[in-house]
Amino acid sequence: MDIILQLTFAGIGVGSIYALVALGLVLIYRATNVVNFAQGDFPMMGAFILVVCLLSAGLPYWLSILLSLAGMVVFGAAFNLGVYYPLRNRSYLPVLISTLGASILVQNIILAFYGPQPANLPALLPFRGFQIGSVFLDPQYIVIIGVSALLVVLQYLFFEKTLLGKKLQATSQDKEMAGLLGIPVKRMIMLTFVYSALLGGIAGILVAPIIYFSITMGNAIALKAFAATIIGGFGDIRGAIIGGIGLGLIETFGAAYISVPYKDGFAFVVLFAFLMLLPQGIFGEKIAEKA
Amino acid sequence: MNRLLYSIAGCLIGTALAASVAHAADPIRIGMVAPSTGGAAETGRYQINGAKLAAKEINDAGGVMGRPLELVIEDDQTTNPGAVLAFNKLASDSSVVAFLGPIRSTQVYAIEPSVRKVGKPMAFGGTDPKLTHLGDPWMFRFRPNDKISTAAMAGFGVNDLGKKKWAIVYSTDAFGTSAKDLLVPALKDLGVEPATLQGFTSNSQDLTPVVLEIKQSGADVIASFATVQTDQAILAKQLRQFGVAAPVIGSASLISATAMKLAGPDLYGSYALTDFFGEETDAAKAFSASYEKAYGNQPDFFASWSYDAVHVLAKAIGDAKSTEPDAIRQALLAVKGYEGAEGTYDFDENGDGLHAYSVVQNKDGKVVFVKRVEAAEIKAKD
Amino acid sequence: MTVTTISSASNRVPKVPLFVLAGAIAIGLVLMLPLDGYTVSIIMQAATYAIAVLGLTVVLGYAGQITLAQAAFFGLGAYSLALGTLDLGLSFWVALALAVVVSGAFGAILGLTSVRLGGHYLAMVTISFQQIVTLVLTNWISLTRGPDGIAGIGRPSILGRELTSNVDYLIFSIVVLTLVIISVWKLKSSRLGRRMEAMRDNEIAASVTGVNVYLTKVISFTICAVLGGLGGALFASGFSYISPDQFSFAESIVFLTMALLGGVHSVIGTALGTLLLVLLPEMLRFLRDIYLAVYGLAVILIMIFMPDGIWGFVTLLSDKLFHRIAARRASAPLKLAKNETPSSAPVLEVETLSKHFGGVKALDNMGMTVSANEIHALIGPNGSGKTTLVNVLTGLYKPTSGNIRFNGETITGMAPHALAARGLARTFQNIRLFRSMTCLENVILGAQRPGNDLTPDGGNAEARALAALAFVDLLDRADDLVGDLPYGHQRKVEIARALAASPRLLLLDEPAAGLNSTEKQQLVELLQRMKALGLTILVIEHDMPLVEQVADHITVLNFGERIANGTPAMVLRDQLVINAYLGETHVHAAT
Repeated sequence: MDIILQLTFAGIGVGSIYALVALGLVLIYRATNVVNFAQGDFPMMGAFILVVCLLSAGLPYWLSILLSLAGMVVFGAAFNLGVYYPLRNRSYLPVLISTLGASILVQNIILAFYGPQPANLPALLPFRGFQIGSVFLDPQYIVIIGVSALLVVLQYLFFEKTLLGKKLQATSQDKEMAGLLGIPVKRMIMLTFVYSALLGGIAGILVAPIIYFSITMGNAIALKAFAATIIGGFGDIRGAIIGGIGLGLIETFGAAYISVPYKDGFAFVVLFAFLMLLPQGIFGEKIAEKA
Repeated sequence: MNRLLYSIAGCLIGTALAASVAHAADPIRIGMVAPSTGGAAETGRYQINGAKLAAKEINDAGGVMGRPLELVIEDDQTTNPGAVLAFNKLASDSSVVAFLGPIRSTQVYAIEPSVRKVGKPMAFGGTDPKLTHLGDPWMFRFRPNDKISTAAMAGFGVNDLGKKKWAIVYSTDAFGTSAKDLLVPALKDLGVEPATLQGFTSNSQDLTPVVLEIKQSGADVIASFATVQTDQAILAKQLRQFGVAAPVIGSASLISATAMKLAGPDLYGSYALTDFFGEETDAAKAFSASYEKAYGNQPDFFASWSYDAVHVLAKAIGDAKSTEPDAIRQALLAVKGYEGAEGTYDFDENGDGLHAYSVVQNKDGKVVFVKRVEAAEIKAKD
Repeated sequence: MTVTTISSASNRVPKVPLFVLAGAIAIGLVLMLPLDGYTVSIIMQAATYAIAVLGLTVVLGYAGQITLAQAAFFGLGAYSLALGTLDLGLSFWVALALAVVVSGAFGAILGLTSVRLGGHYLAMVTISFQQIVTLVLTNWISLTRGPDGIAGIGRPSILGRELTSNVDYLIFSIVVLTLVIISVWKLKSSRLGRRMEAMRDNEIAASVTGVNVYLTKVISFTICAVLGGLGGALFASGFSYISPDQFSFAESIVFLTMALLGGVHSVIGTALGTLLLVLLPEMLRFLRDIYLAVYGLAVILIMIFMPDGIWGFVTLLSDKLFHRIAARRASAPLKLAKNETPSSAPVLEVETLSKHFGGVKALDNMGMTVSANEIHALIGPNGSGKTTLVNVLTGLYKPTSGNIRFNGETITGMAPHALAARGLARTFQNIRLFRSMTCLENVILGAQRPGNDLTPDGGNAEARALAALAFVDLLDRADDLVGDLPYGHQRKVEIARALAASPRLLLLDEPAAGLNSTEKQQLVELLQRMKALGLTILVIEHDMPLVEQVADHITVLNFGERIANGTPAMVLRDQLVINAYLGETHVHAAT
């Protein structure tokens, strides 16, 4: 029983990492209909800026975090202008390749100017975790789960209750119509990228104390986050969360009870089954047929 | 087109140079294949730094046969095809007289056919025992092979620490799998059956299932072969979190500067088998001091093997008084009792230069020497 | 899923002898130039990669399906060859056949999944497949020898000469590559290739034109995988050592980038992209630490500034430089195949047909009969179920209940392409043409429908297509891209495409939508000429004056039910119909 509880906690913990990254993926997808293959580099970038400010420049912790988030705002804007915006009127394929190119570019620029060494970032909470019965809880995971939940609630309120949120939603659903209604589509898309980069930065800052900063830290997570959004359904923020946590649980229990080396395979087998049986995902909207 | 122009230009310059006969200042060129990009870029930097340091020392002391030594470095991008391309690029330059190959065994496998074809000696750091038994006379290993290290690990763990319940954790890649495959029989020789074997894929974010399995197995020692440093640090952290107190024993990467910095206290008390230990011998101490002076950080085995390799190659060329491949090869085979940073080089007929491992311990963030295990001693116990 | 292209290039891509010549020149250069070992191995890598990348030309360029698993097929081919020769003791050629079969079989399986999915979902399925293959290659050690990989893979002998020298093997690779280039290029202008392109441009339009979309997808994936496997097998033998990390997801992305960089729609582009991407990192080596960063930047810039890849960019430039003049076309008058149905016999019988979407009854217990050689109009206000009926009739929707007979045969629930094969042709309310093709190519696809009797045109689909274009007065635009035509002309092309299929029933879905009054008059005249030719036409239309002029028989739908049926004079005086339409005129007045 203890083991099951412990595995559940681990699964939810690692799943919430996927979910955090998936959240940003879904946002960009909804605004642009494009899957950003460089999404994993958003958390990497956030963690990297923190590493530079905190460890290399020796700035105070909270200032470093603020600088990292500010850096992500700039990064998100630059990403939009350089990678997505020039290709906005094209099919998803050139954009997909462009985001792949961006991922190679970003990772190798950091490699060239900073170097390849991984780094350890301090956790937000200063203590090492606690024991409930024989189950160990890592406080950083609790922070991640809490922040994810908070972000989902805020995101829900933002999209459903504010005018700006409504405008963003309208843009994501029908760009042409939104334009006709006088919504500044350009600005809305820019906002989406900035927000998504910010989310990615937060994810990076939160997960780096657990999985450490490294240039390739985002690669594996991004693929899993992509899988999570498909399981959950591209259309919905809840989907990203449920899909991410579901994936984390599947992996952890699969590793514990079936095979550790094939751990990464479970996620994809389940994904495969999902796509065959429930292609719209758990929360996906039914796409009306119109011939 | 450019390539063509270059090769024409190269030919012209080449004949012009040949006409003036080997000028005294003509450099002796040694090619080096190392990762500057990709997953192992970090270790590549140590290797390149080590080699460059040796070249600088040699040149400061007047070079080899009065000629300066020059390193030509090509990036292998941490991939096997990349290593083949990088090596072939070096091999196509006929003025390169010898090579430094990769430290990853799969890459050494990948380029071995090219080495055989070009027919010049290659120093390499891959520790798969089979690499010096491929029937290729040009392969020279500058690190002790894994058979020695795993036998030493088993011997130290069972005999010195008295541990009989072993958990083996390994990355399911070439490094981890082959280490596991060598350690299991080495333990069996000592009458020990591992309590659990746990393989995992590199770049895991969480190792809870692995750690729980180890905990349940009741292991009193954990042999760990993680390829990626962050995996090693996550494993160490989670072992401590779940209250597993058994010591970790692993390969030299366990005491690499990066791993120790990443894992911090989580790796205190762990043992590592290493071919290089900076405070063990005078040669090692001297190397550590000059490396730290040149680059501002502590060297590790990635730097020490390439440092030794450049020095030993230079010595062999100097001994042979020739840059002919076969002369260098004979001179390398004749190297006996050379005190390098890694240890004492005695090349056997297969091209294996080192035959001993050191056991060291991470004592509160400081690496301390425990004992030296000679291959001969381990064999004696069989 | 629509991929825009400039495939008008297909009319002027080099002919087969040119490819052979190019291959021969390449071999000549390899033999004559004093290439060092390094250059030979780079070119060898490029040649074997190019074979695999040409697979992407088929699946992505021609068929418009995405795959991010080409490295997996490359790996399956490489491992089949390596294990086949080393562990099973097969000869090189038998192992090569094994490699092709194994990768092809997995390709077919992956293709089956693509039947249900498109876009990002398909991308994810292929990524999953890729990851699972990598995991199995790494972890199934007893079969694959695990992460250490396999060394000592042998080379083949040809005519008693073993290709141990790299130059010999490179020549062999170039020969194979040239053959593959020719086959893939030939495929483009074949019937299968046209079907793939039709499917890429518009899946639904393709299916009602008689393209079996499912089968075409599976075939294109299989071809892609076979080429991947072939390239992988040659790579394994060429480099003699393989390991699982050479066939990872990252490599699949490299393959995809190669295809898109050169221009995925043409074989030349693909070959160009591969060569460039293999050479680029090598040429950028002088940049040292930042060369991969420069490579990433180059990928983005090429995507932005060369939308159709480098080759697309080149052809676009040459188009602008040498303005091309279309050849004049001539045609014989359009003749229809012998219509065996005796006049006034029912061609289409619909009985108690219902289609429900959840609780909504889009069609309810509907019945109607279309007789031979009449123009039958189906009218009704917006939302009355007209489009639903058409979609059920043409097999895009499965009916909830009821029965449909076509020339006496029950066709309820048949797939669109099966109905097309029986002579049911249609046009769409919102035009669905293959925009990257010329008018003639579009219409030829109609003429090539399975079961089309081309005897009146001497068995020639192109002759039939030209006749159909002449019939709608568009012969002079035959070689223009459909996308360049004005809207009214595009409608006519769609009708010509349907005509070319010698339909036994022609279904026109709101043909007057979006036409101006002159064009409408031309349409009336066209409809009358079609009737005079002996065609049976079911026309769904809003435009009452038009219907009044052409229809022999009218059926009126409202809220999914038939509310009137009969001659125009009868129906248009029906009170129910007037009520239904008055409601609608109000709506019209309001807007």
